[in-house]
Amino acid sequence: MIRISNLTKSYPSQLGPQYIFRDLNFDFPTENNVAILGKNGAGKSTLFRMLAKSEYPDRGRIITNRSMSWPVALQTGIHPQMTGRENTRFIGRINNVKSLRQYEKRVQEFAELGGKFDLPVKNYSSGMRAKLVFACCMNIDFDIYLIDEATSVGDPTFRRKAKLALAEKAKSAGVIMVSHELDQIREFCHSAVLIENGQLHYYPDLEEGIKVYMAD
Amino acid sequence: MITVREQLHAWKRVIFALFLRELQSKFNDKFGLSWAFVEPFVFVFVLSFARSFVSGGDVHSIPLFVFMMIGLMGLQSFLTGMGAVSNSIKKNKPLYAFRQVHPISAVLTSGLLEFTIKLGVLVLMALALFLLHQTFAIANPLLLITIYLSLWILTISVGMLFAIAASFVAEVDKVKAMLQRPLLFISCVFFSLQDIPEQYWHWFTWNPLVHAIELARYACFETYGNNGVSLNYLIGVTIVTLFFSLAAYHITWKRLLAR
Repeated sequence: MIRISNLTKSYPSQLGPQYIFRDLNFDFPTENNVAILGKNGAGKSTLFRMLAKSEYPDRGRIITNRSMSWPVALQTGIHPQMTGRENTRFIGRINNVKSLRQYEKRVQEFAELGGKFDLPVKNYSSGMRAKLVFACCMNIDFDIYLIDEATSVGDPTFRRKAKLALAEKAKSAGVIMVSHELDQIREFCHSAVLIENGQLHYYPDLEEGIKVYMAD
Repeated sequence: MITVREQLHAWKRVIFALFLRELQSKFNDKFGLSWAFVEPFVFVFVLSFARSFVSGGDVHSIPLFVFMMIGLMGLQSFLTGMGAVSNSIKKNKPLYAFRQVHPISAVLTSGLLEFTIKLGVLVLMALALFLLHQTFAIANPLLLITIYLSLWILTISVGMLFAIAASFVAEVDKVKAMLQRPLLFISCVFFSLQDIPEQYWHWFTWNPLVHAIELARYACFETYGNNGVSLNYLIGVTIVTLFFSLAAYHITWKRLLAR
């Protein structure tokens, strides 16, 4: 569980600070795979980034004793001039993996890049990049994986593989996912958190959450 | 609970990873890493050599070539170091998605990298002096080391202040470029403070670079003298700037992430 207490978050703008959340209190469930739903600008990504501690709230705290991955989006932490292998090693290093060599090998296998693993990432297609990023994340043990539409570009085979991997992880870990594609959410998640007017609502049943989300 | 020891280890790991990443990504053209050393070396060497070729001889008991070299090296360290550090926060922005990577890791990494490069350039310089039979014994090596380290701390602090300011007000970069330009002429690179009438010294001695460069010459040749400059001033300015840059960082770092 992730506890959000008295959280306020705003962004500066020409019209003064734009508040996304004001004094929000919420217990974010992590027992099963959760989708974050909400309209554009509702604060999905902001909440997501705050959960990952890539961004901090103005006031209030987010408390958890679970280890969380970084927000796995298409571009995070990947340097286009560096090869897939170098990028993998960088991610492994800052996440303190035990054996870089093994990690590297597992990522290469999982990402199905073959020899292209040693080419600069700028030569990759967007699907290949997504595979690399996803593989980097899945091969580190976290309690909670934060996934931001990263898998949506993969081909069907890879998506099946990703789903299997996530299902395997779900035995010991949770997934929090942000995506606009309901198909994808249905594929990976079991419950939903809906963001509406700066408030969060938890729906243990995903379909119920989607129904409310679509009804607006 | 996370101990200080673990914290320091985590920092070391992140900075090491960033350091390697900078190395790999900065120089992956045909020249590779060697360009980083050769370019500043050629700049300093050619300028000093040309100057000593035009009118050789000594300046206040220092060979002109060495005199120019110390001046240019000091200024070059400050300018390129500050330039790199002040861009580092913005450049590494995508990496702050990893919660282990903080803006100050980027600042420290780029400062460290530039420092390492400049040490390499210094070795090349020593080699060049040796081959030109211009070697000399450094009168006070400890003083020289102190000055150079102090200059680097000052460089990184000023760079960090500019980096933080530029994240909030983008125009700061333009002002920075303008402020840098006169430094070549007022930092006693081409001339000595002794060449200036004493009643005008106060127009120059506010600048810590003057102190660093003049003292470095004094540290190499005791006969050069250290009139009008003081180590205390250099170190004082360094500490004050370091304090302000860290203070500015401390109050802004969470907002820097969102910028």
